[in-house]
Amino acid sequence: MLKTKPAADGHTPVGDSVPRLDAHDKVTGAAQFADDIQFGPGLLQARILRSPHAHALIKRLDVSRALALPGVKAIVTGEQTPGYIGLYLQDRHIFCRDRVRYIGDPVAGVAAVDEATAEQAVDLIEVEYEPLPAVFDPVEGTRPDAPLLHPDLGQYEAVNFIFPKPGSNISNHFKIRRGDVAGAWAQCAAVVEREYRVPHIQHVPIEPHVAVAKWDDKDKITLWASSQSPFAQRNLIAKALHLSQSQIQVIAPYVGGGFGAKAGVSMEALAVVIAGAVKGRPVKLRLTREEEFFTTFVRQGLVARFKVGCDQDGRLQALENTYYWDAGAYTEYGVNMTRAGGYSGTGPYDVPNVKVDSICVYTNHPVGGPMRGFGMPELHSGLEQAMDDLAHAVGVDPVEFRRRNCIRGGDIVATGMTMHPTGLPECIEKAAAAINWGHKSSPSAPNKRRGKGMAIMWKAPAMPPNAGSSARVQLNEDGTVMVSLGGQEIGQGTFTVMAQMAAAALGVPYDWVKVAGPIDTDSSPYEWQTVASRLTWSMGNAVSAAARDARRQILEMVAKAWKESPDDLDIVDGQVISYKSEEACSLKDLVIYGLPNPDGDGWIGGPVLGRGSFMPTYVTGLDPETGQGPRAVVHYTTGAQAVEIEVDLDTGKVEVLRAVAAFDVGKAINPDMVRAQMEGGLVQGISTAFFESLQLKNGRVLNPSFVDYRIATAADAPPQLEAIIVEVPQDDGPWGARGIGEHSMVPTIPAIANALYDAVGIRLEAPPFTAEKVYLAMRAAGVVQ
Amino acid sequence: MLTAHPGLPEFDYIKPTTLPEASQFLAEHAGEARPFLGGTDTFVRLRDGAWKDKYLVDVKHLDGMQTLAFDPAAGLTVGAAVNMNRVIAAPEVQAHYPLLAEAAHTVASYQLRTRATLVGNACNASPAGDTVGAGLVLNAELLIFGVDGGRRAPLATFFRGPGKTTLRPGDIVTAIHYPLPPAGHAGRYLKLGRNALGDLAIVGVTALGYRDPAAPSGYRFRLALASVAPMPLRPVQAEALLSDQPLSEAGLQAAAEAAAAAATPIDDVRGGAEYRRLMVRNLTRQALRDVWQRLG
Repeated sequence: MLKTKPAADGHTPVGDSVPRLDAHDKVTGAAQFADDIQFGPGLLQARILRSPHAHALIKRLDVSRALALPGVKAIVTGEQTPGYIGLYLQDRHIFCRDRVRYIGDPVAGVAAVDEATAEQAVDLIEVEYEPLPAVFDPVEGTRPDAPLLHPDLGQYEAVNFIFPKPGSNISNHFKIRRGDVAGAWAQCAAVVEREYRVPHIQHVPIEPHVAVAKWDDKDKITLWASSQSPFAQRNLIAKALHLSQSQIQVIAPYVGGGFGAKAGVSMEALAVVIAGAVKGRPVKLRLTREEEFFTTFVRQGLVARFKVGCDQDGRLQALENTYYWDAGAYTEYGVNMTRAGGYSGTGPYDVPNVKVDSICVYTNHPVGGPMRGFGMPELHSGLEQAMDDLAHAVGVDPVEFRRRNCIRGGDIVATGMTMHPTGLPECIEKAAAAINWGHKSSPSAPNKRRGKGMAIMWKAPAMPPNAGSSARVQLNEDGTVMVSLGGQEIGQGTFTVMAQMAAAALGVPYDWVKVAGPIDTDSSPYEWQTVASRLTWSMGNAVSAAARDARRQILEMVAKAWKESPDDLDIVDGQVISYKSEEACSLKDLVIYGLPNPDGDGWIGGPVLGRGSFMPTYVTGLDPETGQGPRAVVHYTTGAQAVEIEVDLDTGKVEVLRAVAAFDVGKAINPDMVRAQMEGGLVQGISTAFFESLQLKNGRVLNPSFVDYRIATAADAPPQLEAIIVEVPQDDGPWGARGIGEHSMVPTIPAIANALYDAVGIRLEAPPFTAEKVYLAMRAAGVVQ
Repeated sequence: MLTAHPGLPEFDYIKPTTLPEASQFLAEHAGEARPFLGGTDTFVRLRDGAWKDKYLVDVKHLDGMQTLAFDPAAGLTVGAAVNMNRVIAAPEVQAHYPLLAEAAHTVASYQLRTRATLVGNACNASPAGDTVGAGLVLNAELLIFGVDGGRRAPLATFFRGPGKTTLRPGDIVTAIHYPLPPAGHAGRYLKLGRNALGDLAIVGVTALGYRDPAAPSGYRFRLALASVAPMPLRPVQAEALLSDQPLSEAGLQAAAEAAAAAATPIDDVRGGAEYRRLMVRNLTRQALRDVWQRLG
């Protein structure tokens, strides 16, 4: 683990809440986003013809009338996209060929001189469909007689840890078999069985998707996109189009919110294919807010069945959970969410006997994709309610129940991996204390009821075992530092954190460090994707290594010049100092031009350029039948949330009065930004608990706009919000750090659900806990008339 | 909605200099032109393709449109182009029509209220219109300039259905007039939305009450309901119950039940009919309690 000597003023850039690198540009509006980039008068605009059917065969497609429209430059269809694309399972064509599988599936793309003309052309394309029976429920989708959505599933290419079932709608089935579950129920003093559902939701980034593609006459492609994954997009698009990765350059400026929606590839490939038909001209495709709700990624729906049992002391004995993921029309990315939901399917609990089935089911719903938490908010949503019920059933206080059963360092988790040191018990204690657990406060009015609830969580970065990061650290004539990296600034503050780490590892003040942007696959070092809360840990390791490499080069150069040992030298506050000779020299005097040779003529050293990379090498495969293996994941971030709510008996409206979040982040590189993640995640969690749901009817989203897809605003945030940082270091994290970006919204729904139960004694089958559902449930329970 | 349009369709922006000129243009282009105030709904509908007008006739600058005037003898007149934030902040409104300010304050967000207008809210003819209930219980009238000159029309008979009014081609609503409210009145608007800010009403209840020695109960109440019928609704049976029998908690409850019975809500993405009916009952009861308490 890295240690850094503090600067002369006692500060090290790591652990300080330094101001964000991007704050000024974002506040003043100077920051550039993809749609801001100017392309001049040659720019064409694209629009997409989308399927109006949830499931149908394309019988006839005629673009001739549309092509004849003045201003239309090109129209592409599935004829141009024979290849498959996908991250973990290549199961989709960029444009549909013979079949459409959800309402919104892209059938044709138009490039025209402006959006209105492109739109007009879209209306002139004639398509004849033969509607097919569809699947709208994941459990029904697993039945043998269900309509088959992907007859070619057996031919699709998949990574070696995904297990599709050809001839069915199941594109992955992850299993854990550990201990003797069937025999354990008899030992249990209490057993709880529950079914909970989680609806589809959408990420709702402030900036909708936008991509501009240009294809030159030598088949060199440039793609400018609002993207979390420039390198993955380069890779996946190249594979799908049978090109070399080096033929594609992806340039990705600041991203106005991603939350997973802009990971992998979605609409960017459409822009690239359309641009291929008008070589030499840039083509822009930007989604409307309405399209954003159902044509890129949505969060998968879930039907979850829980059976959990404990002994009379409230110690968990057995768990048997089945997760049916409503994964949508294509599961190229979603299959890995169901894998993550499988290997983490026990939640953060120590259970000896475990059976988990996590089943990824194709449905004729919008495409399920990654979203903040990657399956964890969905499965914890019901799991943490079932655990609460079990605690009540056995007569143990819910916090005490979690204290007794939560995972601890040294425990063997359900996949057979030994748990690393974790601060989960400390998170539980601190969250319980901060919410004043065990004390009921008086409601603010006679028609109100109060309650408290807690939920805990875990989440590992879900990714291929060998997802890598790399970085460069170069020094300028003035001694300042430029960090080049490939992870994306999506609002989470990663550029700032990387600058802090580079500054600390090198020995310069934080404000000497800049991060090179925009991310550009031709010039930025490789990064797998900005997902999985992995950058602080993985890219942080690469950046730290690069900074240490630069530091080593500097110290070796100076040691030679001063005829000292590098071990006696240090870099503090941008100066090389010797603890032995007490010499000092500013970095600016040596990092480009080197130093004079002390033994005569000539020079030593030269421009300093550090390099670093990181890739976990220790993750193992898991047995496909038992889910057992030595190391399923790199690590788990854990945490707890507790809330106090007040329910209005006249309306069913629920107000979160106080919320507490406590997470073990290993080491807070920037404590204010860690707290901001905890607060932001909590508010997004509250939003999903009370408001958010894509209302799907026969595959159609009924509320694809802000009029009827409501999200929390500042006015819905709790008046009191406390974020508590717990730091149990990660052995291979930079300064011990782990990620926190996603975790902060994982336990919010069940914490609120448990508080609702505490307040009025009701449990709802599924979020969002709208005032209507709460009121009608209270009425059914006789709480109100 | 499947192919959500990226931008506004083309239209011509017309800026007449007089009301007769504007009215004449609108009459000559019936079905393809409409008057334009804040545009908070107009632009959305044009973009969605729900409205296909070729012309938007800007009337914001015409005579009297920007006037907010209070006459102690006649009441309040609010020009069609006076934005809601101005209404809310006006001392005359706060002093004499606090109910109107309270209702306007629940509309959308501050930013949108710099464009939104009371007349636009009425002409939109949405059953969810937040300020319409205040207009109904205050016996508001619309001032209309048409091809035959000016006329006044009570708000109570203005609506014909969702989005439909009695306006004819060439008609321009120039102002909304609120007569003096009953002396010593109290009012309340309770709006139930999904989240705290900027939502449409799932249910809205407007209540206005005042003392009237001629009424058997000594009080008279007026009620208006939003989002629970094709048009903004006055539950007159509930109002009658409140004036005909001595006021009591049970009487308020009975009136609330009567209001719920008068509602004909539907199931939609914002809420179910059963819940809406129950909320008419509960919010009416709450609004009546608040008003009664303030009347003393």
